[in-house]
Amino acid sequence: MSEAAGTARTEVANAAAGSIYDLGYQTYDGPRLGRRHAIRALFMYSLRGCFGIGRGGRAKIVPLALAIFALLPAVVAVGVAALVIRVPTGGGGGGGGGPAMPITYGTFFSYIQTIPMLFCAAQAPELVGRDQRYHVLPLYFSRALRRSDYAIAKLASLLVALLAVFLVPEAVIFVGSVLAASDVPTAFFENLPSAPPVLAIGLASAAVLGGIGLAVAAFTPRRAYATAAIIAVFTVPSVVVAIVNRFATGDAGRLVVLLSPGEMLEGLNAFFFGRASANRVLVQADLPGVAYLAAAVITAVGCLLVLLQRYRRIAA
Amino acid sequence: MPPLISLHALTKRYPGVTALDELTLDIEPGIIGLVGSNGAGKSTLLKILLGLTDPTSGTAAVMGRDVQREGTLIRQFVGYMPEHDALPPDTTATELVAHLAQVSGLPATAARERTAEVLRHVGLYEERYRQVGGYSTGMRQRVKLAQAMVHDPRLLLLDEPTNGLDPAGREEMLELVRRTGREFGIAVLVASHLLGEIERVCDFLVAIEAGRLLRADRLTSFTERTGTLTVEVEEGRDALAAALVAQGLRVRPDGRLLQVELQDERPYDVVRDAVVDLGLPLVRIEQHRHSLEDLFRDRPDGAGEPAMAEPAEAGR
Repeated sequence: MSEAAGTARTEVANAAAGSIYDLGYQTYDGPRLGRRHAIRALFMYSLRGCFGIGRGGRAKIVPLALAIFALLPAVVAVGVAALVIRVPTGGGGGGGGGPAMPITYGTFFSYIQTIPMLFCAAQAPELVGRDQRYHVLPLYFSRALRRSDYAIAKLASLLVALLAVFLVPEAVIFVGSVLAASDVPTAFFENLPSAPPVLAIGLASAAVLGGIGLAVAAFTPRRAYATAAIIAVFTVPSVVVAIVNRFATGDAGRLVVLLSPGEMLEGLNAFFFGRASANRVLVQADLPGVAYLAAAVITAVGCLLVLLQRYRRIAA
Repeated sequence: MPPLISLHALTKRYPGVTALDELTLDIEPGIIGLVGSNGAGKSTLLKILLGLTDPTSGTAAVMGRDVQREGTLIRQFVGYMPEHDALPPDTTATELVAHLAQVSGLPATAARERTAEVLRHVGLYEERYRQVGGYSTGMRQRVKLAQAMVHDPRLLLLDEPTNGLDPAGREEMLELVRRTGREFGIAVLVASHLLGEIERVCDFLVAIEAGRLLRADRLTSFTERTGTLTVEVEEGRDALAAALVAQGLRVRPDGRLLQVELQDERPYDVVRDAVVDLGLPLVRIEQHRHSLEDLFRDRPDGAGEPAMAEPAEAGR
């Protein structure tokens, strides 16, 4: 109230001074950039929200902790490679003299696979559940975007966040192994062929995990339910697959691995790097690599459709 | 110039309920009150104008453009203040409003400038950098109004803007609405079940009941045409009544008083002349303008009295 009184006084003073200071209401005659700009703005805001930027301090703890956990193995691996293994392998002739990294590009995904999953479980409910919990959707849907645009912008932001969580450590490994080598240019070109499969598995895991996470989270405003449901979708099938795989025989028993996101991505990772997976269940299933690729594409597209359908129907 | 809002046979049916029933109406700019009891279809109409809900049949156009086909375009020029709380608590007013301005199509720089401007306009100062979760109801309503007008809309749709405010807060909100409509030249459509508030800020009134149009007219004609002239004489009431009826006026005795129906200016002169002719001791002639509440209460079928009590409208 004291502020209101203060303003009233200033207005009186301004009136006396000929209202020089009170500019009054300014109309806006500048550009209105429309739907694409609106989508981009929501995407950027959501991407920052994925890491708790622009929110309170507590919102940053979980995403940043997970990002650091994803980074740690890479940093340790590079450190070990640089300090310990460099001397004996570095001097010899030929090649980049690349140190034998304890973690390779091909195996890195298996090491940190749970981290993108936890990231989804923590941040997908934050990304979409928050707007439902606090009834913010009417504020979005009454602006320059469509319901489907909202869903797509949210999904894209989670995909990019997941990609960052996965690719930054991979980049650390890349830079680390190149710089730790005695012959940097050669090491660079030796490491380069690993980039496409790294990007491919990064994109595929972001699309599959992010798609599932967001499609599940969009169905409840309750954060805890969403987190629990996402973790269940990621882990329960894996257990089921292990059991079915042990007892069932025939094609059905083999194809069931495709129902578990974890196994599906593990198989896809092996396929992209052109190597056999060490995972016992996958060895037993013995599916061609394209089966994992097809399953991943179907999952990602299916989740997108579910998400679009959810936002077409949701009350606002 | 097409009308600001144009409705044609607009119908919205929910399972078991007809929210809007063949509503046909043109609305011109100004401050427009949309009145009706709880559940009369006010919120549904606003949501259809925003494209938040699709009509079952009929069409609605804002500024000559169909709300279903050109929704994203129209919504760049329309602001919406929803009835219920719609603000996430873990962000600041500045951050939220600037973000929503961009989603309305404003470039980032303009969004920040307009946010500062519009938050000042609604009376939020230093507290705009605090988290919304700590705001009072009055401050939250101001943020909701600010986000609705941050992109300088040509049309503002306000759904029960004084909901949950104390008397002082109501006064301030109504004053803001009045200034927005009068001084800034923004057309405002205010939905409310509180006639007493509406009639103080609006120049045009649309009354709906059970999804049907009761009446749409200028506020002045709403009240004037239904006004009465109260005439009090010490004696000779019946003689005066007879004389007035002979002149073609509609007169109703009311205790010692006569209530003369006021259609135009003529009754003033007729009453004066009749009193003089009869030589009656005149006590007073008083124009009694019906308030809108009387208007609704006196409706012959007695249906749908606007509620004066304060229970919040049940969310639909």
